Amino acid sequence: MKLEELAIHVIEAAEATGVDFMAVGAIAAGAYGVPRSTRDVDVLVSMELPDGVKEIVQRLAPFVVFDPQVTFDTLTWGRRHVGQTRSAPPFKVELFETFDDPFVKSEFSRRQSVFVPLLQRSTWLPTPEDVVVQKLRWGRNKDLDDARDVLAVQGPETLDMAYIETWCRTHGTEVRLRTALEGIPPLE
Amino acid sequence: MLPAMNNPHEDPAALKALQDDIYREKILRARKQTPAERLADVFELSDHQHQLMLAGAMHKLKTRDIHLGWAEVRRWMARLDRVRENGLYVTERTS
Repeated sequence: MKLEELAIHVIEAAEATGVDFMAVGAIAAGAYGVPRSTRDVDVLVSMELPDGVKEIVQRLAPFVVFDPQVTFDTLTWGRRHVGQTRSAPPFKVELFETFDDPFVKSEFSRRQSVFVPLLQRSTWLPTPEDVVVQKLRWGRNKDLDDARDVLAVQGPETLDMAYIETWCRTHGTEVRLRTALEGIPPLE
Repeated sequence: MLPAMNNPHEDPAALKALQDDIYREKILRARKQTPAERLADVFELSDHQHQLMLAGAMHKLKTRDIHLGWAEVRRWMARLDRVRENGLYVTERTS
């Protein structure tokens, strides 16, 4: 199975379930920054529909084996469901539940639909500003690279930097933002 | 005989300039793409990288059995997950 085929399965499962969702992680970062390889299809799933995640997991069962053990991230205590593809290559599906976090609520409410010809369908993505804020919040090396890449490719002059700065102040990540901006060399 | 070239690794300023040139080229190339085109690149790069990993695994195992190769890649990925997710994810909420 190719990664794009897995992405189609995940999108179809979410749509068939009737839950609101958006792609996050490397897929979202790649849409606005510098494309990089990944092994994950990461999706943020609205919890407005009870059992929505459970139904997505069931719909994906022919292709993906999910760990019955839910995990929590130690930064925000968000819940994550992790699955591995049954067939090769060993791709992963990560379903993140929306939760009572002001930023998560904001980024989900601002999600936008993007048509992807390769997938022959539209999918939901965060805004580039929200990708930057989220990546700076997580702060792993690859996240910081992704944030800088989105800032560089989009150009700060085209982004709502006031929105980004406000959330970075809230999250205490202003230094990471400044470092990311300083890491962009002159492009002319 | 080729003329001797300066090694940028011996000159921090030259190394920084080289890094900036490489990064600038990546950014300018990405700027010419639409979000959909960049997404297509994510998928193509990911599929290609996994095929390269398969080749590496089969070479390491000295096998032509593709199933053994993928099993080895799966093992590598599981190890990588344990390293990358160490401390980031837990199975019980503690606060």
